[in-house]
Amino acid sequence: MGVDPKLARLLAHPGVWRGRSAALLQVLPTGFAALDGQLPGRGWPRTGLIEILIARFGSGELDLLLPTLAALTRAAAARWCVWVAPPFMPFAPALASRGIALDRVAVVNGARPLWALEQALGSGACDVALGWARRPQAREIRRLQLAAERGRTLGVLFRPRHAAREPSAAVLRLTLAPCAAGVRITLLKGRGAHGSVELNPLA
Amino acid sequence: MLPAPHQQRIEVTRAPLRGVSRAPAAHAQANELWAGVHLPGIDEEKLAGLAERAQRFTPRVSLAPPDGLLLEVRGSLHLFAGVAGLRAALTDECRHLQVQPVLAFAPTPLAALTAARAQRALEVLQAAQLIGALAPLPLSALRWPPDTLERLQRMGVRTIGAVLRLPRAGFARRFGAAQLAMLDALTGRTPDVRAAHQARARFRRRLELDYELQSHALLLAALTPLFTQLGAFLEARQCGVVELECRLTHRQAPVSRCVLRLASPFSDAQRLSELFGGQLQALHLPEPVRACELRAAALVPYAPECAALWQPGEHGGGAGRETYGFIERLRTQLGPAAVHGLTLLPGHRPESAWAVTGPPPVAPARRAAPEPGPEFPAPQRRPLWLLTTPRPLGVRDGLPRRRGPLRLVSEPERIETGWWDGGEIARDYYTALDIHGVRLWVFRERAAPHGWYLHGVFG
Repeated sequence: MGVDPKLARLLAHPGVWRGRSAALLQVLPTGFAALDGQLPGRGWPRTGLIEILIARFGSGELDLLLPTLAALTRAAAARWCVWVAPPFMPFAPALASRGIALDRVAVVNGARPLWALEQALGSGACDVALGWARRPQAREIRRLQLAAERGRTLGVLFRPRHAAREPSAAVLRLTLAPCAAGVRITLLKGRGAHGSVELNPLA
Repeated sequence: MLPAPHQQRIEVTRAPLRGVSRAPAAHAQANELWAGVHLPGIDEEKLAGLAERAQRFTPRVSLAPPDGLLLEVRGSLHLFAGVAGLRAALTDECRHLQVQPVLAFAPTPLAALTAARAQRALEVLQAAQLIGALAPLPLSALRWPPDTLERLQRMGVRTIGAVLRLPRAGFARRFGAAQLAMLDALTGRTPDVRAAHQARARFRRRLELDYELQSHALLLAALTPLFTQLGAFLEARQCGVVELECRLTHRQAPVSRCVLRLASPFSDAQRLSELFGGQLQALHLPEPVRACELRAAALVPYAPECAALWQPGEHGGGAGRETYGFIERLRTQLGPAAVHGLTLLPGHRPESAWAVTGPPPVAPARRAAPEPGPEFPAPQRRPLWLLTTPRPLGVRDGLPRRRGPLRLVSEPERIETGWWDGGEIARDYYTALDIHGVRLWVFRERAAPHGWYLHGVFG
């Protein structure tokens, strides 16, 4: 189907996006071609908050992010990769063997995980900040999203699966569950993204 | 061969005071230029303060008590647009302390100081012109003992030029070798080594408050001048602090102490004040504060960072200064143990293969190149999450359970080590799937009760 070249040029403008197609945005490749194809802009957004909804820890959510984290921490001018209030201790040998530069990893625990995550996202000192929060309010998520834009940081918030019913200001939301082939990822929200994909993050 | 004593004496007797065989410049040390500052009526404390401030002109500042200051400024001339610019900047610096200086420039320290004490704004840049310029100065500027001056005056010697024309041997015999040595230092015939002023390495300033303050915000505002002084103090030394203590004095209650500890040296007063404000908020004040004292110990040399062209995150721009501020902010709010890094240890046991690095690793500003690959390739698959202490699992029919039966999906991996340090383990590790499809890292004790434990979760 031929598109009028004038129209095509107009549609290529980064400020214009259509329901199905995504606007041009800076993205990070996920490392999984099948997932890249589903995501707006063919990758994780470079800045902004994404939400990953999981029923229980260890569903494969970290495996999904590891290629991106490895690429970010190994970049020449890498900033921090911060883990805020992780449920267990990240196991350093496993992270290192998967290509993550440990000298860029900082783990933050403490009484106020959402505040710490907002600081990490908004400070500009981090490339990526992962956060585990029990029950963030919609307003707090909005603050996180704004902080991520301000600090040019990728924020990843892990929330329980039933949070899918609540509204959220995150630019991208997806649920993740283990399945026979590996994990099944369903996109809930994203600029022009929907559908689901099954992939094996260990492949 | 060492020269015999009498040979030296012969030289002394033959040569006139002003060396002929050796030009004065021969010993004027490697083209120095000294600024002598005469500060009539200055006290000791102000002089030390001025010496510290003067270190922004040159690192070689020496005190000439009670009222003189010497600066070696040859290398600084081009930075201050020559002698005239330097003179203006130095005069400004002195006027801050409400003293009116007399400034003279000469190739030897004593000449510069003497000219300044004689109220002459001398500017001699070449060693060859020094003696001619010094000649008309009155002898009194040398501050010799009054009887010496009086005897010289009776001989008709009133100027430095006249005294330099006297024969050396006779002069030394009549007026003492010390005076002769001084004349040699004056003309640059012998080197005049001046000890550089060592700035105090501790910062301690006390501030008595006009009003008793209870509010944290007002207290922080009142501390601002102290932080400004601290900033100037650190800048003069090119140092940063890693620990800052503030003592708050009350009317009756014991002194409250507020200590700020930093992971990396800081020298920016503004940022220090911000971080300190966070720390202060957490401090409980039993009574209003009457006085505060700011103390900084253990100065650390601080390499100022270059500002990057790109903002952080833009076109691969690094984090730059934000890195330090971010980690410090978290540490002051959440406690020093709340933020940590991870590092690898060469251990085979899962518990001893990694460690928490106490203060967060200070990120190098920019790495040369990304490393080619992981340093410690793990031989087996390891879980991304580790439980710091293994959690016992329920058992039915000899198989482990967690929210239902676990299915073992891997061959056992035996880890049996640590007998030498008391942390002996003997375990068979398996990868297990629970009924929800979560992959777990479990082990079975090889010793007697053969208990099953959960030790990790695959991401």
